This record gives sequence, structure tokens and C-alpha cells, in this order.
Amino acid sequence: MAKKGKATRRKPTPDAVSKPDKVMIRKLPTGVPGLDVIMGGGLPEFSFNIISGGPGCGKTTFAHQFVFANATPERPALYFTILGESPIKMLRYQQQYTFFDPAKLDRTIHFINLSQVVLKQDLSVVLEEIVKEVEAASPAIVVVDSFRTALRKRTEISELDIQYFVQQLAVDLTTWEATTFLIGEYADEELRDNPVFTVADGVIWLSQVAERNSVVRKLQILKLRGQESVPGLHTFRITDDGLQAFSRTLGFQERKGRPSRRARISIGIPELDKMMGGGVLVGDSLLVCGSSGTGKSAFGTHFIAEGLKRDEPGVMAVFEERPEDCKRRAKHIGHELATWEREGKLKFLYLRPLDLSVDESLQAILEAVTEIGAKRLVIDSLAGFEMALAPGFRTDFRESLYRMMASLTGAGVTVLSTVELDESFTEFRFSNYTISFLADDIVRLRYVDIDGILCRIVTVVKMRDSDHNKDLREFTITKKGVTLTDRRLNDYRALIAGIPSYWKQGSSEEPLT
Amino acid sequence: MTKPTPPELRKLAQRILAIEAAGTQPADAESPAMFRVCEKLRRSLSRLTGLDGFRSLLSRALALAGEEVGWFKAVRVMSDGSLVGLDEVEKQISPREIAKGEIILITKLMGLLVTFIGEGLTFRLLQQTWPEVSFDNLDSERRKSDG
Repeated sequence: MAKKGKATRRKPTPDAVSKPDKVMIRKLPTGVPGLDVIMGGGLPEFSFNIISGGPGCGKTTFAHQFVFANATPERPALYFTILGESPIKMLRYQQQYTFFDPAKLDRTIHFINLSQVVLKQDLSVVLEEIVKEVEAASPAIVVVDSFRTALRKRTEISELDIQYFVQQLAVDLTTWEATTFLIGEYADEELRDNPVFTVADGVIWLSQVAERNSVVRKLQILKLRGQESVPGLHTFRITDDGLQAFSRTLGFQERKGRPSRRARISIGIPELDKMMGGGVLVGDSLLVCGSSGTGKSAFGTHFIAEGLKRDEPGVMAVFEERPEDCKRRAKHIGHELATWEREGKLKFLYLRPLDLSVDESLQAILEAVTEIGAKRLVIDSLAGFEMALAPGFRTDFRESLYRMMASLTGAGVTVLSTVELDESFTEFRFSNYTISFLADDIVRLRYVDIDGILCRIVTVVKMRDSDHNKDLREFTITKKGVTLTDRRLNDYRALIAGIPSYWKQGSSEEPLT
Repeated sequence: MTKPTPPELRKLAQRILAIEAAGTQPADAESPAMFRVCEKLRRSLSRLTGLDGFRSLLSRALALAGEEVGWFKAVRVMSDGSLVGLDEVEKQISPREIAKGEIILITKLMGLLVTFIGEGLTFRLLQQTWPEVSFDNLDSERRKSDG
């Protein structure tokens, strides 16, 4: 038995010996919607962090959001105010935010003013005061707001003194198991080679940049020890609810690859489905391009309505008209969108206000899609979308749009976007924005002059991964919606230029030019 | 929750002053209740506002009270946030007049806090200093007066 027992006992593998269990670092929720994802799951517990940026960037509000989200009576928060915003005014303004809970000020969050100590004593006394309070309260969170302003004005305090102060503070507060924030105002150029930042486990940089008449707020995780944060600049907004951050990746990193076999879905215009080889592939991004009035929105309406008839929820993000106008127009072509909206199968997003950031707009679309489990999305139109953005965000438009399209189509949502083109009667452009790379499929609409009458034609320009009909077909928009006519346009040349010439098939005559 | 009216704050000030008067230790017998209320507020509020912040608030309250009570012009706020100058006043003014003035000053001080940080936070701060005072009654009294 002993031999058997010995034989069955497992020896520890070399790996097991050399890889002891790692310390598990708890990640604390920041209390800022969207920021936990950017930080890679939250803020590491017991980390020593610097929140930096210029005045009015939201540093104090961010610290408050964290404090209100995490402090408890058992493990309270100590909020030291040094110089800068007067605590009375800070409380006056901060209580306007929805996250501010006055009930927590009794035993959970303690505000302590150290301005007198800072002004009249040296840094060692400030440190002593902080440590004394920390030892008495055993807080989970400590905020020192705003240490930089005070120290910068004291000429007798050298950078070395500040470094020592910060280093000692980091050691003491970490030992007392506190997650700590130092709030400081730093200019961009001060970030480089600054020893204070070496001490910190995390550095969160907030900024606001004025561009033309708009202000764009951005945040960056400059440093975060021990976990993978999302690199780059992320936009954020400050509302009544405090800060809200929008990851620039929009969940793109978690995107799944498309399945190798995909079904086709009807666009709601049977003849166009036939031209497209039976419909659009599920998870495709379809671009409908054309000049004003060619019927792009009508195509979008058919697409969304067809999905709703098949019990596929849909989202319509409209930028150029109000949802009410969109529903009224849909009714004119035979689709009662309001009924589906009431049933919760259709959601309208009207994203019109100027100064939107591209990421927060895309986030709103993603949330709407997730909320109702949408299978189809219409963006009407990309030009209107771009116009609704603050000028500073327009340069990021294509990049962000690409990420969103990839994220949505990867999740199996089929997207129809409309693009308005400046019509030319000498060329046949696909897009003003060079965004055709976004599209798996492109449908082009345009006006043509046939026998002195303005007609609409449609053609399928591109279908990724499948063959398609390349005819130029006339279509009409009536009370029954979009219908491709049986009229043959084979006797016309130069249709795509907009001013075709008649050329009777089989005739030996040269076409008229 | 509506902003407390001055009569409500006045009642609150009366209660707090009454508590301080009732709890007078022999050593404090010479010190008016108003001084002890201010001293307690100085200790608790200066932790939040800093000594300068408290001194500023008290100076403003004193100026406002001085518009209603003439003898407050002889009272000053020191750099440490304490009040001085009442000794001379006490010789000339009746205790009844002093008691009236005390209520006005404390009412003004609480009124400033309510203006800046709101009723909710002000009452929470006061309750930390005087746990025995019920602030809930204010609401019911307000309802009575509204009805």
C-alpha cells in the first residue's frame, strides 16, 4: 500500500516550484463610467496615484467620484485640502453632482483643511499632520488636493524637498493600506523627467483643449503599474453626473472574428436583394451613397423596417432630421416605425448637439444596440454625424468610425450608413470622406437625365466576398416605397455621368455624344 | 427640502445656546454661551474650512449681526478665530440684551453656512458638534407653519 501510495503521489513540477501564487491586486471601481475599462478593470488597491492637469480639467471632481464610490464607514476616506479651491466652495459646488451623497459626510468621508500648516510650517510638519490623521482614521482612501499649487509658491522648498515629501507620503500611506491620490496642476512640459512621477504607481492626465469655438476634454493613463490600461487619449465629458469617459477602443479589442458562413438578410427592396445576390451578408457594413434627395434615407428605412418585420430589433441614429420627421417620412412610404418604437424593438438616437465627441456618440450608439439587442443599425447620415462633432474631433472621425464599425459588425450587427455626395455630372464618386474602406458593400444612387426627365438610378458598386449584379437600374419612390422599375436602360450610354445619350441596341449607329 | 427660514434657524440657535448654557462648567461660568458655541464651531469647522475660512465666516456673521444689534460693533474676531470685546459691553448692556444678540449672531453664522453648503450639510456638521439637538423637528415645524 505504501508503495502504491508513493507511486501515485504527484511530484511538484519545476514550474510549480518556480511560480508561487502571485499576489492578487484588487481593482477598485473608479466611479467614473467608462474609466474602469480604460484602466484595465479599475484602479489597483493601495496604489499611489497622481491626478494631474491644468485648472478646470475635472481633477477634483474625479477624486470626489472615486471617494464617494469607494469609501465606507469602516474604511473611510480622508480628503485633505491644501491650497486652491476653498473647502466650503468645493462642497458647495460638488454637492451639485448626482454622485455626491451628503449622508457619507458624517462618518465615511472626512474633509481636512491643511492650508495653515502648509503656509506656515515646513513640509515635514505637513507630512506629520497627514500621517497623524491617517493613523487615527485608518482610511481606505486618501486624497491630497492640491499639493502642487502650495509647494510651487514656496521658494525655499526645493524640487528635492518635494520629491522627498512625495516619496515619504507614498511609503507611509501605502503602509497604512490606503489608495492615495495627489492632485496637482502640471503643464505638459513638466511631465517629462519629473521625479514625482517616478514615485507614483499611476498617473492620470486630464486636459481640455480649445479648438476653434469648441473645447475637447481628454484623459490619458500615462502610467499604471501592474496592469494593462488602454493606451492613448480618451475623451471625457463632465455632466451633472460627474465625469464620464469614453474609451477610444470602444470595445474593439474584445471583437470576435466573423463566422466563415454568414446568412443573407433582405434589405427590404426585393429587386435590390436580387442584385446583391440574395441580400446583404449578416454583419456587413453597407454604404448607401448619393446626392441630396436621391432616396438614401428611404433605403435605410426599408432596411430597418424589413428587419423589424422579421423580429430583428433595430437602431436608427439620425443626424439630419428629428426622429418625428423620420417617422413621418417612413409613414409616407408605407412603414409605421412608431409602432415598433413603442414595442421597444426600434430605438431612435437623435445625436444633434454640437461639440459631441466622436467616441461618446459612438458609445451612445453601441449602448443603444446593446440595450435592445439590435441586429440592424442605420446611421443617417455620416455627413450629419461628422457635422455634429466638435471640430477637434472631426480629425478622429474616420478612425473612430472604423473602430465602431468593426466592433458592431464583429458582433453580428448589420450596418447601413448613408453618405451624401456632391453630385457631379462628369464623374461618379463613391464618397467625399474616403470611407469606402469602411464598407463591405456599396450601393450608389444618383439622378440622371433621361429624355429630359430627372430619374433616379441605383447600382451595386461593391460587395465584399460575393458576386453581384452590375446593372444600372431605375427606381422610384412612391407610397409603396422604393421600387426598382422594369424599364431597361440598356439603350443608354454614359448613365453614370448623369447625362446619358440614347443608343438603340443593335443599331449600327454610333451613340450620340 | 426648502431653505430654512430665519425663524427656524433662530430656534435652532436658541436650542444650541440653551444646551451650552445648561452645560456650563464652573470654569466657564464667566464665558457667555455664544463664545462657547463659537469656540466649538471653530474647532469643528476649521478642520474643514481652515482657520482662515472659519475666521472669515465668523467676521461676516458678526458684521451681519452688527446691522441688527449695535453693541456687536465693539466685538472683534481675533486671528485665531476667537471673539473678544464683550467684557466692556457686558458692563453696559443687560444680560437679556446680550442673550438676544447671541441668538442673532449664531443665527447669522448658521445662515451663512446654509447659503454656502446647503441645509443638509450644515445640519450634518452641526449635529456632529451637538448630537443631542434634533434637526428633524425643523421639518415638522416648517410643515406646521406651511399648513
